[in-house]
Amino acid sequence: MAGVRLEHVYKKYPGSDKASVTDFNLDIQDKEFLVLVGPSGCGKSTTLRMIAGLEEISEGKLYIGDRVVNDVAPKDRDIAMVFQSYALYPHMNVYQNMAFGLKLRKFRKDEIDRRVREAARTLEIEHLLDRKPKALSGGQRQRVALGRAIVREPQVFLMDEPLSNLDAKLRTQMRANISKLMKRLETTCIYVTHDQIEAMTMGDRIVVMKDGFIQQAATPEELYNHPINLFVAGFIGAPAMNFITGQLVEEGGSVHFKATGVNVEVPEGKAKVLRSKGYIGREVIIGVRPEDLHEEPVFIEASPKSIVNASIEVSENLGHEMYLYLNGLGKDSVIARIDGRSGLQEGQNVKLAIDMNKIHVFDTESELNILEN
Amino acid sequence: MNKSKLQRLQQLVGAPVEVRVIPRTEWEQAGGSKHPETGDCLERADSSWLLAKADGSEFKVIDIRAKLTPLERELLGWALKPVNAKPQAGASDSERQARKLGDWIEQCIAAGDVRAEVPNQFELRNRLFDGMIPFLLQNEQADDREPSYAELEKVFRSFISDDMFLVPLREREWLVLGSDRLLAEVDSPEEDAPEQDETKEVLYSLATGLHQMFTEEWGGECHVAVGMPIIPTESLVQTVSTLRETVYLGRRFHIGMQVHLPWMVHLERLLSGIPESTRARFMEEMMGRPDLFTEPETITTLDAFFAMDCNVSETAKKLFIHRNTLLYRLDKLKQETGLDVRSFNDAVLVRIMLLLYKVTKRK
Repeated sequence: MAGVRLEHVYKKYPGSDKASVTDFNLDIQDKEFLVLVGPSGCGKSTTLRMIAGLEEISEGKLYIGDRVVNDVAPKDRDIAMVFQSYALYPHMNVYQNMAFGLKLRKFRKDEIDRRVREAARTLEIEHLLDRKPKALSGGQRQRVALGRAIVREPQVFLMDEPLSNLDAKLRTQMRANISKLMKRLETTCIYVTHDQIEAMTMGDRIVVMKDGFIQQAATPEELYNHPINLFVAGFIGAPAMNFITGQLVEEGGSVHFKATGVNVEVPEGKAKVLRSKGYIGREVIIGVRPEDLHEEPVFIEASPKSIVNASIEVSENLGHEMYLYLNGLGKDSVIARIDGRSGLQEGQNVKLAIDMNKIHVFDTESELNILEN
Repeated sequence: MNKSKLQRLQQLVGAPVEVRVIPRTEWEQAGGSKHPETGDCLERADSSWLLAKADGSEFKVIDIRAKLTPLERELLGWALKPVNAKPQAGASDSERQARKLGDWIEQCIAAGDVRAEVPNQFELRNRLFDGMIPFLLQNEQADDREPSYAELEKVFRSFISDDMFLVPLREREWLVLGSDRLLAEVDSPEEDAPEQDETKEVLYSLATGLHQMFTEEWGGECHVAVGMPIIPTESLVQTVSTLRETVYLGRRFHIGMQVHLPWMVHLERLLSGIPESTRARFMEEMMGRPDLFTEPETITTLDAFFAMDCNVSETAKKLFIHRNTLLYRLDKLKQETGLDVRSFNDAVLVRIMLLLYKVTKRK
């Protein structure tokens, strides 16, 4: 087992002016489950491929354990990869698929057999060992691909969107399976996904990337509750955080946030920071999570200084909860996540209270979270 | 050549060194040979170019900002030459024969004689009468050492079976011939042999398996093309030529794909043959909005839509989006371009635009 360290790593393709990955610095701990997440083209797969040795590192150093591996061939890095296109070897049965890598590395037959059967037991595919890939379902094939990686007992697992070829139900199931498996194997795992739900549910730590830069590296809770900038705030969370642009004004000794249809008081703790940083009288963006808009009478009664009125454009009832798409709060539509039994309907006007203790305030130019930086 | 080696080279020659990718035309205009080999050196006014890799229309050169002495040129050229381009002393019989066959294939292709049959003088000829599946493999790994023939042959034997041939072609390019009995091995014993129309699917799965094996277990990133089974004595040259063209077209039009199929690049082949000016005019006329394909979502949606044979429900499923979301995206495209990809004629035009856009974008 080993940690992975990237020091000032860059990836620049020949003929391109812009680096695909810029100054990537990260220390991944031994046994950590690290998720790289970001929109398409953000450099997450390129970073993983550099760790795998499939892409040359243009600048910087990559360590696996204590060894610099920039110039070490992929097969000699002691890593195992599971990719989106988990192509199995179609002419070999499941046992042979899992054993092939070990056979190539000249492991003894009894050792190969032990490892294959143990991995098959872990993945609950013992009954499939004689089958050819063609006779397997999508989920079974995915487990064989994982098995092929597990038998190697590598220092690091690298996974690039391994679940994206599966349907939604199977993805949820496999997500939990992989998390459990990695905990049991106690091996470092670097996992790439564009799906923030996968990232939030699986990672010990998440690295959010955009345009080749690390935006923030933190635990799921930290990312959700303390996003460092507008991008991270909008990327993490579903439905996404609402953003309302407005002005901060000082009124009767307290700070208010004012925008179209919004006039709410900022709690003193946050107001103090905003005052000290000179934001009073300036335009800012506030971020409100959909669940921080409340329609419960008790909450509204207790929060008289953060009440807003809006009209419901669309309501989506998911049973246990309901999404309200609201008009009248700022320029764009705002989403509220409320109790599924509220009985609110499209076209109705609704009174809501914002949980102002949980709002985020962003600088309109730098897009940084003023309260976190 | 990796960064640390470039830095070392920089120290050795005492001048700035960088790796550049230039078009073939630039090499030729600077006085370079039309048929250059890796390691060739080109002296320019204030620098020297060493050819590190010739890849179709693009050349990777090491640009040294200094005049090299003849000895330096010779030494650097020698260092860049592929280590295993020629059989080494002690090479096995099969390696010598395979290299001879590879050289002959290259000569035939260079002479335009793609219909040539394997001549009698080749000792291997007698073993090339059975049906075989041709795979063309081009290794891309940024590694200085080309794997030895013996090592590679062993890996492929483990993967395919003993009944195979490995023929080295150009630098980091090999033809792998596997017995066509592999087609039957893809099925479980109780199943029937694959139907004719399933063969292409099976070949694709074998090629992806080969790609996966090579990438993960052996030599790093590579491109693989596979053809329908052949009798090698009759059509070896033609097959190599077709597969090489397939990889070229696949890499040009479908960036990010590593497994390429000759039967999937018919349109690409046709488009590739159209003069640049005609293509540019078509794009100019058709693209109402030059930024139309710059949104990755549009490209992903259209790629999936065409891959799913223009089936709305299947495309939505593949993209994990609601059917109405897909319809909204297609309607938006229709509004912006006047082209409705749900109608056959418009779909053809958008497909062509998309393919040409990818090539233009890459440039």
